[in-house]
Amino acid sequence: MADQESMPDPHKNVISELSRYHEDNGFLSEQAIHDIAHKLELPLYKVYGVASFYPSYRFTPPPRAVVNVCRDLSCWMAGGTDRLKEVLLKMPDVEVNEVSCIGRCDMAPAGDINNRPVQLGDTEQAVIWARHPDLIEEKHPTPWKRWPTDPYDTEEDRYGAIRSCLRGEKAPDEVIQILKDSALRGLGGAGFPAGLKWQFARAEKDTPKYIVCNADESEPGTFKDREIISTAPYLTLEGMLLAAWVAGAEDGYFYIRHEYHIEEHAMRAAIEDAYRRGMLGKNILGTDFNFDVTIFVSPGGYIQGEETALLEALEGNRGEPRNKPPFPGVKGLFGKPTVINNVETLAMVPVILERGVDWWNDQGVAEYQGLKFISISGHVERPDVYCIPMGTTIREFIEMAGGMKDGMELQAILPGGASSNIISPDKIDTPMDFKAMNEIGSMMGSGAMVVIGEGVDLIEVGANISTFFRNESCGKCVPCRLGTSKGVAIVDEFLSGNCGPEKLAELNELNEVMGKTSICGLGQVALGPMVSVLKNFPDAAGERARNADTGKVS
Amino acid sequence: MSDEMVTLTIDEKEVSVPPGTTIYDAARENDIDIPVVCHMPGLEPVAACRMCVVDAGARTFPAACIRECEKGMEVKTNTPEVAKARKVLTELLMTDYPEVEESDQHLADFEIENLSKREGVAPGHTRFPVKEEERARDNSSSVIKVDHNACILCDRCVRACTDVKGNLVIGRNGKGFLAQIGFDNDLPMGQSSCVSCGECLVSCPTSALTINDGGFTVGDAFKESGDPVVADELLDISIFQGISPAFLQRNLEACVRRTFKKGEIICREGEFGNTAFYVIEGAVEVYISTPVERQIKKTQLSGLFGLVNRMASGLSQREKHQEDPESMGFIPIDAPIDLDKQNPVAQMMKGDLFGEQSAMNFYPRSATVRAAEDCVLLEMLRPVLQILQKNPAFKEEMEEKYKERALSNQLRGMPIFKSLTPEFIDELREKVELIRYEPGETIFSEGDPADALYIVRLGFVQVMKRFPGGDLTLAYLHKGTYFGEMGLLGEMVRTASCKALDHVELVKVSAVDFRIMLERFPEVEASFRKEVEDREEQNRAIAEAGMVGDQNMTDFLDQGLMKAQSLLLLDLDKCVRCDECVRACADAHEGVTRLVRDGLRFDRYLVATACRSCTDPLCMVGCPVGSIRRRNSLEIIIEDWCVGCGLCAEQCPYGNINLHPFEAREEDPEHLGRKRVVVRNKATGCDLCSDIGSPSCVYACPHDAAHRVNGQQFFEKHYLGVKSSEGREN
Repeated sequence: MADQESMPDPHKNVISELSRYHEDNGFLSEQAIHDIAHKLELPLYKVYGVASFYPSYRFTPPPRAVVNVCRDLSCWMAGGTDRLKEVLLKMPDVEVNEVSCIGRCDMAPAGDINNRPVQLGDTEQAVIWARHPDLIEEKHPTPWKRWPTDPYDTEEDRYGAIRSCLRGEKAPDEVIQILKDSALRGLGGAGFPAGLKWQFARAEKDTPKYIVCNADESEPGTFKDREIISTAPYLTLEGMLLAAWVAGAEDGYFYIRHEYHIEEHAMRAAIEDAYRRGMLGKNILGTDFNFDVTIFVSPGGYIQGEETALLEALEGNRGEPRNKPPFPGVKGLFGKPTVINNVETLAMVPVILERGVDWWNDQGVAEYQGLKFISISGHVERPDVYCIPMGTTIREFIEMAGGMKDGMELQAILPGGASSNIISPDKIDTPMDFKAMNEIGSMMGSGAMVVIGEGVDLIEVGANISTFFRNESCGKCVPCRLGTSKGVAIVDEFLSGNCGPEKLAELNELNEVMGKTSICGLGQVALGPMVSVLKNFPDAAGERARNADTGKVS
Repeated sequence: MSDEMVTLTIDEKEVSVPPGTTIYDAARENDIDIPVVCHMPGLEPVAACRMCVVDAGARTFPAACIRECEKGMEVKTNTPEVAKARKVLTELLMTDYPEVEESDQHLADFEIENLSKREGVAPGHTRFPVKEEERARDNSSSVIKVDHNACILCDRCVRACTDVKGNLVIGRNGKGFLAQIGFDNDLPMGQSSCVSCGECLVSCPTSALTINDGGFTVGDAFKESGDPVVADELLDISIFQGISPAFLQRNLEACVRRTFKKGEIICREGEFGNTAFYVIEGAVEVYISTPVERQIKKTQLSGLFGLVNRMASGLSQREKHQEDPESMGFIPIDAPIDLDKQNPVAQMMKGDLFGEQSAMNFYPRSATVRAAEDCVLLEMLRPVLQILQKNPAFKEEMEEKYKERALSNQLRGMPIFKSLTPEFIDELREKVELIRYEPGETIFSEGDPADALYIVRLGFVQVMKRFPGGDLTLAYLHKGTYFGEMGLLGEMVRTASCKALDHVELVKVSAVDFRIMLERFPEVEASFRKEVEDREEQNRAIAEAGMVGDQNMTDFLDQGLMKAQSLLLLDLDKCVRCDECVRACADAHEGVTRLVRDGLRFDRYLVATACRSCTDPLCMVGCPVGSIRRRNSLEIIIEDWCVGCGLCAEQCPYGNINLHPFEAREEDPEHLGRKRVVVRNKATGCDLCSDIGSPSCVYACPHDAAHRVNGQQFFEKHYLGVKSSEGREN
């Protein structure tokens, strides 16, 4: 926990030090742990505890090629990596790991070789890459692209919203009011009203205040922020500027997952551009408004997307969520008031201010307000990120993505990322909106739809998702650490034929208790998708058991 | 934040608490029980186990231990939903919880097991599948056993180690379902920087951290020789009042009752022990048998120095020491009393505790204790002593006793205080403070403001001073010595650094009281001033002589030679192996040579096995009676009252201290009142013939082959070819 006295000291951040050593040497030696502890005057347990928490750090020298194969939902459904893994295991000086979602679900089965993202569908090609990692082309950010949420016709027009604020055309409280009227919600998954969040932080007397942009999207199926960062980073950056101006902050952190190198470069370019234009730094546009943005590369782990876990990582600690309250708006980074918003939420603010609430409200279908970025993957023809009007139905959206892959039958939909409840095809005409999704027992979640076609065992889907949460649990609280572990164990027992489908009913109570007692959202929803399969597809378990009895393997 | 009271309801009872009060605290004050596991009063809450969740009207259940009360909150601690949550959480905790082994049955009073009983959930028998793979068990520490299978990651040991003790050893490693507690950078506990303070052990609610019976106890002898004492019985004894019965229960075998018949020996000087004794009934007598006149063998004395050795007899030495301002009129022992040097016998009775040093720091017994009448004692191991030391009732009683009996003796026994009046000592003892330091803790650093005089009551204090060439350990202070006066008399700044080497307890005399004392007793002030001058003179001499080695000479340092202040070098080109040096040494030391003409060779020089008077004399650490010490800046002397435990010989990295048998007389246990002659070992080492003036070995050499040089001189001579400026006078 940050104590109130501790001020940010980038030189004392364990994670910055660990990352630097790791970058220089490819791994963390025992000596490195000792050196860092000595340099930062911290106990060894602290340095090692932090280092061993984050999956991006290794403690042995890396071989020539490290191949990471994504094991999560979209990539797992795409399959086709089993033979590759077998081949790679036999190759000298090659290491193969199964990793959690790397945010490249649109190129499933995805992975990375020596940190370069690759499609692993072609085994022969992948083996060549593993042998010669240098042959992998380093992808460059896609060119900046005009989204419907971009109010700027030319490059010169960018930062128009903050400019008009600095000219005195809008007061901070007006900005808050506009955001409230637009009903803009947090688009990272939790959906907390953005205007209210800014208002809370603005009302806090304590200083300094901080703005943090959460670019740590890691939930299986989710890659919308990735696209926003690589194609329109200036919108998010302007959102940070506006938040800073409203809340009264002078420092901002852009917290990005380590797998997003390409996107990190795009944001770095945008930040440099903003400094050149005088939109960042001291006395922005001649006013007394100062704001600097620092990029912080996450040392890894889905849990870091949880806002307080993210703050812990920024402070150089083990990324374990805090108990709330107090919320970050009151006691955030280093115990100071902090606005922490998702990439997309911040990217939406400029257009709302520039075009107005009425324009924004008109963008949605019928009574629904605004626009929404959604990534779609799984069994559709064109997995990608789309910016759609709020209220578009699931059916329309799947059509937008080219319809079902190879004309498959739709079996199930995961409408809002791995933590949303799985729904059956009869809900296909539900408008995509926070309220409407809640009403059918699921949610908009992280803005990630995974479409599941026929032939996939839904119990295995549930097991895959639960296993993801088990692997990504930080381990701090008992319900999540042991609940996910035991939940997965029950499903595994069933899948391996060691118990009948009735045993799965134990998951209901476990899920309920985890939902009530876990510290953060991860534990609260971890078994939700699995339980939703049992509820929404009551025949799934029985069918599998019957198939197993008759020797039919699904 | 406003100071207005916060009013809320807990289980429909209206309560008002100050802002910032947690739900758990508010409930407890109102006699509403909320079970906790990871929370422990006195520790910062972490809310990891979630066992204390309550319904406060929100979507999720907050943990009562951390959630602050809010105005108008309606808290329900026992709805069916909350009860279900507790039950399921208990099931989760107990699924993989190991069966308590039969040998650990006596330890079965773990909080977690009480919880399992209360919730009706047996370990390993829940609805959930049991984990197949076993986790590690770490038996590397001789004091604490770690079983990761039983660990529930409640974080209590982590907070105990860091927040309570400041030892900074235990943390959480790894992540998620693979996370576990770890020591330093994931070392086995026994190899980590753990100081075995036991705080983690006391704070652990499970059997994950338990006493390592295998390594810790004195073995079966301990258990067999006494009767176990149940917790209730212990709680009747004043010093145990206020201690958690759970702890006492858990440490059942670490404390036994022993009965001794009159005359029976309870513990013997020089023996190793790891227990302390508390007198419940009767009285005991404590004495040292060794400080008797050494039996000088009147054999034919050879060599020129045969005559001189008589000067080295025990009696003449003792008389000499009494004029030494540092020397004491008593022998400090591991008990609340001290022994008079001339008549080293004393009595202890009901309520006295002795053997604390042995139990805490594993030092040899400093004296022999015998039952003066039939008596009953409690014998206890370190964990019990440690929990006692935290107990206010014990602390108070011991402080009281110490101030009442030992402090006055101690002060009066120190020559420098001899002019203090009994009235003044009475006054002073009300004002002094007893302070404990953990091993390695800095008491003060050179340059700190000087605010007090300290008298060592327990343990060893290392005194170090910075010199141009490096740090020199000036002294290892033991019980009954004092420090801190240099700063008080000078510029009110510390002139050296002092560090606790082990579990140290000090008597702190504030600067104000010290000043009052000096004003009232000019003689004391004069003695202090004289001593300060002497020491300053010594320090100047050391600095000028450049006796503190240059740190760059790593090769040389590896051999430990640079730390040597006085090496006996034999020039093998000149030496004809006549052994005159060895004979001279024997002659100077009651016929027993302290010099062996063998050792490390550097080119044509032999570094003979003789004390090198190291700058950091490890041999001094741990002497139970403080008989090995530095009298001035150079030679290391083993005083007569050595009890022959051999610790210094063991500690000397160069094998330069040896144990030799001497005849001694001690009380005959079979014939009370009579003495019998026994053979006692005593440690001997080169004292540079300090009583004669210059080393006999060098003086005796007819071939000019023996030289005494310090490490740096040898380095210059050997490596740099520079001729040493002096050889003999050192």
